[in-house]
Amino acid sequence: MKHTFKIGGIHPAENKTASLEIDLQPLPTTVCLPLQQHIGAPAKAIVKRGDKVTRGQIIADPGGFVSAPVHASISGTVTAIENVIMPDGRTAPAVVIKADEDEHQADTEARKVFWVKIDEERTLEDIIGNLNADKLRAKIAGAGIVGLGGATFPSHVKLNAKDAAPDTLIINGCECEPFLRCDDALMCRWPHQTLEGARLLMRASGVKRVIVGVEDNKPRAIEALVKASEDMPEIEICPVKTKYPQGGEKQLIEALTGRRVASGALPASAGVIVNNIATAFAAYQAIAFDEPLIERIITVTGDIPADMRRNYIVALGTPFSELPFTLPENAMAIIGGPMMGRSAVRLDAPVTKGSSGLLLISHPTNYETQPCVRCAECVEACPMGLEPYLISTYGRLRHWDDARNAGVADCIECGSCSYVCPSHRPILDFIRIAKIRSRK
Amino acid sequence: MEVLIYTIAILGLLGLSGALILYITSKKFHVEEDPRIDSIVSMLPGANCGGCGLKGCRDFATRCVGGEAGKLFCPVAGSEGMAKIAALLGVEATAMERKIAVLKCSGCRQARPKIYDYDGVNSCAVMNSVGVGTSGCSFGCLGCGDCVEVCNYNAIHIDMDTGLPVVDPDKCTACGACTTECPRHLLELRPEGRRKRRVWVACSSRDRGPLARKVCASACIGCGKCARVCPFGAITVTDNLAYIDPTVCKACGKCVGECPTGAIHASFELPKPAEK
Repeated sequence: MKHTFKIGGIHPAENKTASLEIDLQPLPTTVCLPLQQHIGAPAKAIVKRGDKVTRGQIIADPGGFVSAPVHASISGTVTAIENVIMPDGRTAPAVVIKADEDEHQADTEARKVFWVKIDEERTLEDIIGNLNADKLRAKIAGAGIVGLGGATFPSHVKLNAKDAAPDTLIINGCECEPFLRCDDALMCRWPHQTLEGARLLMRASGVKRVIVGVEDNKPRAIEALVKASEDMPEIEICPVKTKYPQGGEKQLIEALTGRRVASGALPASAGVIVNNIATAFAAYQAIAFDEPLIERIITVTGDIPADMRRNYIVALGTPFSELPFTLPENAMAIIGGPMMGRSAVRLDAPVTKGSSGLLLISHPTNYETQPCVRCAECVEACPMGLEPYLISTYGRLRHWDDARNAGVADCIECGSCSYVCPSHRPILDFIRIAKIRSRK
Repeated sequence: MEVLIYTIAILGLLGLSGALILYITSKKFHVEEDPRIDSIVSMLPGANCGGCGLKGCRDFATRCVGGEAGKLFCPVAGSEGMAKIAALLGVEATAMERKIAVLKCSGCRQARPKIYDYDGVNSCAVMNSVGVGTSGCSFGCLGCGDCVEVCNYNAIHIDMDTGLPVVDPDKCTACGACTTECPRHLLELRPEGRRKRRVWVACSSRDRGPLARKVCASACIGCGKCARVCPFGAITVTDNLAYIDPTVCKACGKCVGECPTGAIHASFELPKPAEK
């Protein structure tokens, strides 16, 4: 029997048509680096206008314990620290860096050398040297690494769960969102490096074993990982059923270990730490090469010509509009996947740590909303075992207390309910409101 | 005939014993309630709007009788209504200046053109949770009318020309339902003012001037002209946004004409500026 979670789940059309190649997107000459690219307190800028910065230099210190620093993704001069427009149209404080011709050339050369160097397969003992768990975590914190699956929770906080004494590290390579392929591509291209990263995270958190969960619709990635893990006894590669939201934290824990995380509790309470596969790769870069998190892999896909559906290594702060794509007619742009991504209205906004993909859909279908027919499809689909139609109605009618009693806080906002609704009701929209308003 | 007699007798007995049980319980479990509570409830508006911060009008009345009359205030009944209640209870009346909700946004359709289509749910809360609103202003009114929906007194309607909600000052009771409902907190309760003259900054944008102007022609750009012209020092500019302190403002209206973007609104007609 294939590993999977028990309650609910859906299987939307996969649409994983993007190429598995990873291209190096040329560095931009200007980057905007928002100070809040993670969950928690925003970072505090430590550079000022006119300062010279080099690629990889820290430009903003963490603003609290649950926070992460921000590094310059290109060398250049800080031209402004001001509010810039983010993809959703909101404004947020950011550091703007502009490079001149020489700096741009030098950065491009150095970057090329780095991405060639990463191909050589270094072993754990060689990388880790005399670093203990505390030092590893400090290095991960210093590199500004956050959960790259989309939630952007600072990784060093997650890894520091000594009180709960976790015994297992789960590496999430499910990529259950339709369309996206950046994690798939990463696992095919650098399986050894990714798994070494996973072992680094294991050392940093003090657990004894690693399970890598990969959905079985990625046979190439599974094959590559199995081959790379042959001489890594603590790592187990575990194919899981292709089902959305398999990559949800609680769902994956249940699928791989059979443990259930209590309502409102953290995964560490079940003895598990979950990290994304791209986070493991970022940890490898940070510890093996002292390379902070200044670049990420991003998928560009959707209703665009097939040769444009690709993965790119992009410097953080690059405007989405610099990526090579043609905007389809009457387009809707989504940052992230189609299920949990956020629609974007400004593509001149910067790529941040949490942007895993740019999805361009032409002529989005606009369904007419019909009354609820009480078919309970949403109840069946909900992976958290909630009653979405009910909570959604509470949200619409502003019954916040009832929504709280119905367990709205457990909702993971996966959107399965809205997806299956035959009446095309905006179920999740109202649940999200209820979740916010019932929190007090 | 026999059947009929038995039926009547049995039903009659049943009814009698039921009445007896009801009589005994009503005597035994009688709750002594202050008759003043009912008379206070009849003086209150009865909308259960929550403007006083309590669960409803009856809760308010019960607490008034319970000795909290001096601390409570029903904004809907106003000072007059509170005086009546105080007279009934024989305590000193709480008085408060009447307040009216005002909208801190002036981004009408002309000032703030639509930059993209939104086909989601027609609800401000939802629109705010998924994006910035069709105008691109992350501070301004979304125009879906959540405030209209929660107003118990029909005091708010959406102006079809501007796309913004309008508060009817005669109907507004300052219950505060709209101020908590607005996801962007654009409605503020401000004192009605002497002779119903009020002046307020109808913008909430904290963006820098150029950025604010890019999305809205009537945004407050934080230039500070109003603060300089104000003879009473009622205006402060923080985070690129002016605020008029209603306790200091004398509603002279000097700032209204001074604002380069027209972001300051007044509840009264201003004298026409002299021709140059």
